[in-house]
Amino acid sequence: MRALMLAPELFHAEGGIARIMRLYLKALCEIAGPAGRVDAIVLNDQPGREPRLAHYADIRLGEYVGCARRKTKLITEAIRLGRHADTLVCGHLHHLAIARLAQVFNPRLKYYLVAHGIEVWRPYTWLERRALRGAQRILCVSEYTRRQLLRFHPALSPARVLVVPNTLDPYFSNGLDQAPRPVPFAGPRILTVARLLATDAYKGVDTMIEAMPLVRREYPLARFRIVGSGDDQPRLQALTVRLGIAGAVDFLGSLDDAALRDEYAACDLFALPSRKEGFGLVFLEAMTYGKACLGARAGGVPEVINDTVGQLVEYGNIPDLAAAVTDLMRHPRDSEVVRHHADSFAFPVFSRRLAATLT
Amino acid sequence: MCGIAGIVSPRLDTSVREAAIARMVQRQQHRGPDDRGLYSQGPATLGMCRLAIIDPANGHQPMLSPDGRFSLIFNGAIYNYRELQAGLAARGWIFKTNSDTEVLLATFVLEGAAGLRQLRGMFAFAVWDAQEQKLFAARDPLGIKPLYYARLPGTGVLFASELNALLASGQVPREIDPVSVSEYLAWFSVPAPRTIYRGIANLPPGHCLSVEADGRLKTEPWWHMPAPTRPRQIVTNYHDFVHGLRHQLEDSIRAHRVADVPVGAFLSGGMDSTAIVGLMTKSGASRLKTFSLIFGEAGFSEQASARLAAQAFGTEHHEELITGARVAADLPRILGSFDQPTGDGINTYYASQTARAGGVTVALSGLGGDELFGGYPSFRDLPRLNRFLPLWRQLPGALRTVIIDRLRSRSGARARKLADFLAHARDLHELASLQRRVLPETARLALLAPDARAQAQRLGPNHPMLDDFTSELLGADAFQVISAWELRTYMADVLLRDSDVFSMTHSLELRVPFVDRVLLEWLWPQPEYFKYDPRFPKKALADATADLVPTAIRQRRKQGFTLPFSRWMLAELRPFLEETFAPASLAACPWLEPVATAQVWADYTTQNDTRAWSRVWTLAVLIAFANRPPQP
Repeated sequence: MRALMLAPELFHAEGGIARIMRLYLKALCEIAGPAGRVDAIVLNDQPGREPRLAHYADIRLGEYVGCARRKTKLITEAIRLGRHADTLVCGHLHHLAIARLAQVFNPRLKYYLVAHGIEVWRPYTWLERRALRGAQRILCVSEYTRRQLLRFHPALSPARVLVVPNTLDPYFSNGLDQAPRPVPFAGPRILTVARLLATDAYKGVDTMIEAMPLVRREYPLARFRIVGSGDDQPRLQALTVRLGIAGAVDFLGSLDDAALRDEYAACDLFALPSRKEGFGLVFLEAMTYGKACLGARAGGVPEVINDTVGQLVEYGNIPDLAAAVTDLMRHPRDSEVVRHHADSFAFPVFSRRLAATLT
Repeated sequence: MCGIAGIVSPRLDTSVREAAIARMVQRQQHRGPDDRGLYSQGPATLGMCRLAIIDPANGHQPMLSPDGRFSLIFNGAIYNYRELQAGLAARGWIFKTNSDTEVLLATFVLEGAAGLRQLRGMFAFAVWDAQEQKLFAARDPLGIKPLYYARLPGTGVLFASELNALLASGQVPREIDPVSVSEYLAWFSVPAPRTIYRGIANLPPGHCLSVEADGRLKTEPWWHMPAPTRPRQIVTNYHDFVHGLRHQLEDSIRAHRVADVPVGAFLSGGMDSTAIVGLMTKSGASRLKTFSLIFGEAGFSEQASARLAAQAFGTEHHEELITGARVAADLPRILGSFDQPTGDGINTYYASQTARAGGVTVALSGLGGDELFGGYPSFRDLPRLNRFLPLWRQLPGALRTVIIDRLRSRSGARARKLADFLAHARDLHELASLQRRVLPETARLALLAPDARAQAQRLGPNHPMLDDFTSELLGADAFQVISAWELRTYMADVLLRDSDVFSMTHSLELRVPFVDRVLLEWLWPQPEYFKYDPRFPKKALADATADLVPTAIRQRRKQGFTLPFSRWMLAELRPFLEETFAPASLAACPWLEPVATAQVWADYTTQNDTRAWSRVWTLAVLIAFANRPPQP
């Protein structure tokens, strides 16, 4: 197989799409076979060798092209490398028209789209519809995303829209062998990991903050620790002050992998009551540490969290959210069961599924 | 038709459970004045009160399987019980009664939940499995019969046919949920699975509930709208379609007439009820009793049409004059009879009262005809609007914002509704979701207190079941999408709920032959262009009953079964509304913004916008509900 991957970013930022596309790169390198080759063109990454690539690619990686946000470069490189490829995996709907253009220059090229979440839960432009119709397969991270695609583009053949659930990063999971550094605190600890952007307010971090006064009625020492940063942080901090719980909410900013592992290891519960999560990769990460997860009954999250590993609540329902937190504190989930559930999303399973889809 | 109630809780003693169930059954005894039953086993207690319709002498509940393992309580009617009985008997079940209850029990025992698909009827039932210590409950496909439930501390669960019964148990707090209030202001009622009370859920139509021995509770759909079939042209020409539809309608009427007590019909004089009465007469009902409401106010009464139909079919027709003064006098009883607020349904209260007083125990209604045959303007308007949406999205964002703001600043509800469509709808599903809103989004948010408003803003303006319904309707055509939204929202949450509550208040079993799984499953895959003609709403129904329904009725414009509230509210009902919108009443509604709420009534009295009555009335009923004293 000679594959080409288009991605918005791999290492430029730490969003969910970047993380899962790294694993697509890793899987493509494995699937390509001994004589295969994989090229990657990444819109937002910087040109030059990226040291972390070593974790996600092997000798089958041909060119890694960082476009430094220049779309013209993305287009020209896609046409250039696409002429020699037989398979193109596109990591974002916004770039699918480029994949279709590459196909014009190389009619043998089959292109695939990875559909993550909210970016495809909407009506499509004419160009996007054409590009979607031309895709060999569309790989959706959840059944929910698949249904949304078919809803907004009913002309698509359902047989070509498949579910390939996200997976755990084996490199991140390797950290499990290292003993977590103790984090000094002695009360129930709720963790969330999310971008704190005003445009991502649907993540529900504010709802978890609003639930904290109710949680602290039962658990006065409960703390809410927030990993992530962004322009919405001042609003969230103001909210903690208004609710009188500023001392119980920790804004930790963006953390490196080691520090993030420590937070996962030290928390009692992971909560991301988001309204629009296509999958919720962070839930899987928390589950590898055996942590119970709390999410909203929305998007693809119900496909990741079940009763044995956590609880689902209605998005935005503060009393229900607080009740679920206290219930999960009182009735902790069996950490072995939680880890076992996470294993069903392990990288080898994902890689096999992807290979079956592409071949 | 009955009222059912049950508790499963290892924490509560049998005596405590039985006392709670006795209170619950007592609270809903109007649902079944003919018989009562109580049964306890292990951590479970079941109770019921029965309105005896089929095999009145037998059919006592809870009904136990011969080995005592399964116990059943059941509210509703299984119309095809005789057909099923033969098959079950052939498989070795020895019937002791001729009741549909025993057929339901045998079906569940022999086939489990899979047997539900064979049932034709309206039902909500629960089965306790003493061997596995498991509870199973289910509700009919389209939500004719209700079932509410609540979790108890620990692993327990409590359920009943009415919310008031759950409150009477003493196990569930009576706490109005501000999120439900905001939903109510949007939709005329609280959509399932929410109820007006925090912590009490409404099992959605076509869903089942199971509680395992370890207390795990699961709800899931057991029935979906039929999947699109390709090719859809099951019937290839319109003549065959009309002929087939007529056969299905006659079959549904035959099934819905099954009873061992007198059966009558509501006859408003509209297309749907006239077709029902015509089909009943055709199927052999002699000297049928029909009932209609008439009003003194011009423009509301359909007296002439109803009389014409009654004369054509030779029915024993009863008319009941409803006046504003009578409604005002009855209002405390009406408000006391429902278990969560509703902006509709008073017509059903009086029609049911009239039918019961007229000597029937069962009445058939034309409810569902508009949803099934495209009687609402939404069937015509929404596809047009949907075709416009892609063009609308091409406009620059700033221009769209200006247009939406202009529309929102206008006083008319239609302009503000259009603003909601343009601001929030992305496809036909979202148009169908938004078109049933009572209050435009800006108006709803203005009425809510800050905390409730914040919650409502988070949830957004669309229907809470949007994701579920769009998933269910993947691949559906435009007619199916709109029909399903009407069936799943306004019909299930408002019309059927109100019909159940208000008919049962008078111990009347109301049956709805158009809301029939078998009819729907036949009609659903038929070509859209056979089912709907935008120039003649409900043309298919009219053509299928052309030999029955008088021409004058078939050619009449749709009037709807509404009461002259717009006038009564400024006259006989005014004292009630003045009191309801007074500061003392609003003090009991901490989730409402009192000044903005009072202004709604003040505007209605001064602005002479008679079309606004339903918004004002919906709000008034909510406030009155919150001020209702706790009931025993």
